[in-house]
Amino acid sequence: MFELQKVEKKFPGVHALKGIDFTIKRGEIVGLVGENGAGKSTLMKVIYGAYQHDGGQVLVDGRAVRFHNPRQAMDMGVGMVFQEQSLIPNLTVMENIFLGFEQQFVRLGVVNWRKMATAARQQLDKVKLSIDPAMVTSKLSFAQRQLVELAKVLTLEERVQGDLVILLDEPTSVLAKEEIELLFSLVRDLRNRASFIFVSHRLDEVIELSDRIYVMKDGSVVDVVDGKDADVASIQHKMVGRNISKEYYREEKQKPFDAAKPLLEVHGISLAGRYKDISLKLHAGEVLCLVGVEGSGREAILRTIFGLQKPHLGHVTLKGRRVETFSAAHGVECGVGYVPRERKVEGMVGGMTVYENMTLSQMRNYSNAGVLEIGREKELARDWIKRLSIKASSENVDCANLSGGNQQKVVLAKWRSGGSDIILLDHPTRGLDIGAKEDVYDMVRDMCGAGVGIILVADTLEEAIGLSHTIAVIRDGEIRKWYDCPPGGKPSLYDLIHYMT
Amino acid sequence: MSFGRLKRHFPWITLVVLVLIVGTVHPSFLRPQNLIELAGDIVPLFIMALGMTLVIYIGGIDLSAQSVANMTTVLATISLPMFGVFSGLLVILAGLVFGALSGFVTTRLKVPSFIATLAVGGLALSVGQYASSQRALYMDAGERDHAFGWMVGSGWSGVPHELILALVLVVLAWFLQNRTTTGRALKAIGAGEPAAVASGLKVERYKILAFAFSGMLAAIAGLLFSVKLSGGSPTLAEGFLLPAIVAVLVGGTPLTGGVGGVLNTLVGVLIVAVVRASMLYFGVPATSQQIVFGIVLIAAIALTIDRSKMRIVK
Repeated sequence: MFELQKVEKKFPGVHALKGIDFTIKRGEIVGLVGENGAGKSTLMKVIYGAYQHDGGQVLVDGRAVRFHNPRQAMDMGVGMVFQEQSLIPNLTVMENIFLGFEQQFVRLGVVNWRKMATAARQQLDKVKLSIDPAMVTSKLSFAQRQLVELAKVLTLEERVQGDLVILLDEPTSVLAKEEIELLFSLVRDLRNRASFIFVSHRLDEVIELSDRIYVMKDGSVVDVVDGKDADVASIQHKMVGRNISKEYYREEKQKPFDAAKPLLEVHGISLAGRYKDISLKLHAGEVLCLVGVEGSGREAILRTIFGLQKPHLGHVTLKGRRVETFSAAHGVECGVGYVPRERKVEGMVGGMTVYENMTLSQMRNYSNAGVLEIGREKELARDWIKRLSIKASSENVDCANLSGGNQQKVVLAKWRSGGSDIILLDHPTRGLDIGAKEDVYDMVRDMCGAGVGIILVADTLEEAIGLSHTIAVIRDGEIRKWYDCPPGGKPSLYDLIHYMT
Repeated sequence: MSFGRLKRHFPWITLVVLVLIVGTVHPSFLRPQNLIELAGDIVPLFIMALGMTLVIYIGGIDLSAQSVANMTTVLATISLPMFGVFSGLLVILAGLVFGALSGFVTTRLKVPSFIATLAVGGLALSVGQYASSQRALYMDAGERDHAFGWMVGSGWSGVPHELILALVLVVLAWFLQNRTTTGRALKAIGAGEPAAVASGLKVERYKILAFAFSGMLAAIAGLLFSVKLSGGSPTLAEGFLLPAIVAVLVGGTPLTGGVGGVLNTLVGVLIVAVVRASMLYFGVPATSQQIVFGIVLIAAIALTIDRSKMRIVK
């Protein structure tokens, strides 16, 4: 009843969906799995109308359709239950359920609240939730809110003729075990009314619930597995797939790190809701990789080490001195450099030139009594443009006009030229093409050779394994497993995924 | 040339076009003597706009400038008999303190700058009202000339001293903006505050500094104005705020900050001066002038604001 045929989606520089074929039958529960960046969310967005496909067809009951926005998709019976909860906290439950569709309760410009409450109660019954529809949403638990989201999508039943397709995006990530069971039995009960697409990182749950499972990798569906014969290991195998060459990650250049020279020690830090009891050590010349799924807390750990977030418990020691004030300024002073994931927002300042960006963290070194020595700044920039072969016509061009790879090099040059020797890399190769990625890998090895310690949150697992000396696998904010990764003795992707999901 | 690149040149093109239009209709407008007088009259507004520029440059706004200038006229007039030329230093310091207070409220207490400066402006206004007992005060001509005579009038060259003062200030501000670490930091904050934070800049400190400079320049503007008019009152600088903001924005420093700067404001103030003069020439009554400035302000904001930085407007 709902079908995608050879659906394509391209973004500048990224081929996000490559000829996706996807069908879902009436009353079916279909799982959708894949690594971060495999194209799951793009596919979902095409299905519920947030993106439009560039090629192929979307068919509902055999008719080709094109959704220009989520509202149109909803009118055709396709609804999305969001992972980032989409309810507005200061509205009541019933207002949320009928948000945008209040017209049915309006007479002469006045909302008939009693009528809306009755209708809302009817929706809540469908998800077996007995709460007062006039309650303010923020007072509900996460699990209750999840069910309200589901109830909201189920209003499509009355509005739309024909069958429903409901997308569940990581619905279990905020739920406790019993709540998950409840949700699953509910979904099974609702099969006579709707089909479900279930997206999750937790493979065991996907297998438990789904009739069929689509496995995605690099923008394609690599396999469709029957729910009955599926097992976690084989799906993991398909998710990660191909062999990767050791050369690509410059493994031959991986030298042992200097275990006698710790640069950074983290002692049992915790930040409520982000990470718990994290302890780690980083040595000169070491690449320490934090591995985990999206939202596992890796980014927050990096931000704490840099000084942007203060932990609630525990402490951090930089070069033997305990950190008392958590601020980026202090981090930079201690030689910590942060290459953030949002390069254009936090990494560099668009509207400023290459040389201005490079010296931004170290203006002190390029000024005299507060007066900038612009000649020396430019000299530095020219030097690093040459060293890292940055493609910029001169040091005076606006950084916003450089390509992603070259912007990333400018950010790295900023820290390296300032003498930072603890470098935190958050998805440093995100959105870069292969050549630029290899340049980044080269720089990682060069920095290690120069005695720099690196904490890496990699874009892919292959990258993490290929580059690191040490891997910490993080799940739900806690370190679950440590691996040593000497060349030739690296853990496999499956080892890691086992502890991640 | 693309529209985006052309946009940068809008301010001075506007200025030239305006001068030509007014000059063609009323050739007497272009007499050098007239132009110099025009420029001299606009100097207090220019100085205030200069301070405003620094705050808008970092993406904030200073609505207290006019009240600080008002307060300054009163304090300067009161303190002149006691401290002579040092009363100038005193009021400038007071402006600095009020500006720093605005900066403190917006950075440390996280109150948006438009409301923080509005509140601090209220404070300044009250100080002015209290100190003057809500009356207009007058400076003694002798004392005034002795202490601040150098600020006004024109020497042997025929160039009003105000213009020289303005020139000195614009050079200093330009130097601050383009040649010092502070100026660079302000630019980074305006163009991309998260990246400035993540580069380890002490962003709060620089922001407070920008507000303090703005308060200080508003005080200098007030001082000059009160010397020119030889007195002070808590409403003397009424009608300065809107044109000062207009000057910054039509000069090409958008509300979102990061681009533009003090030279843009120089052009912007000249545009304001020409618009003002032309209203006289074309017989627009003085009471309607704020209507024109209001319309110009809205147009300037709508044209210059960086929509990618300000997606949601409340």
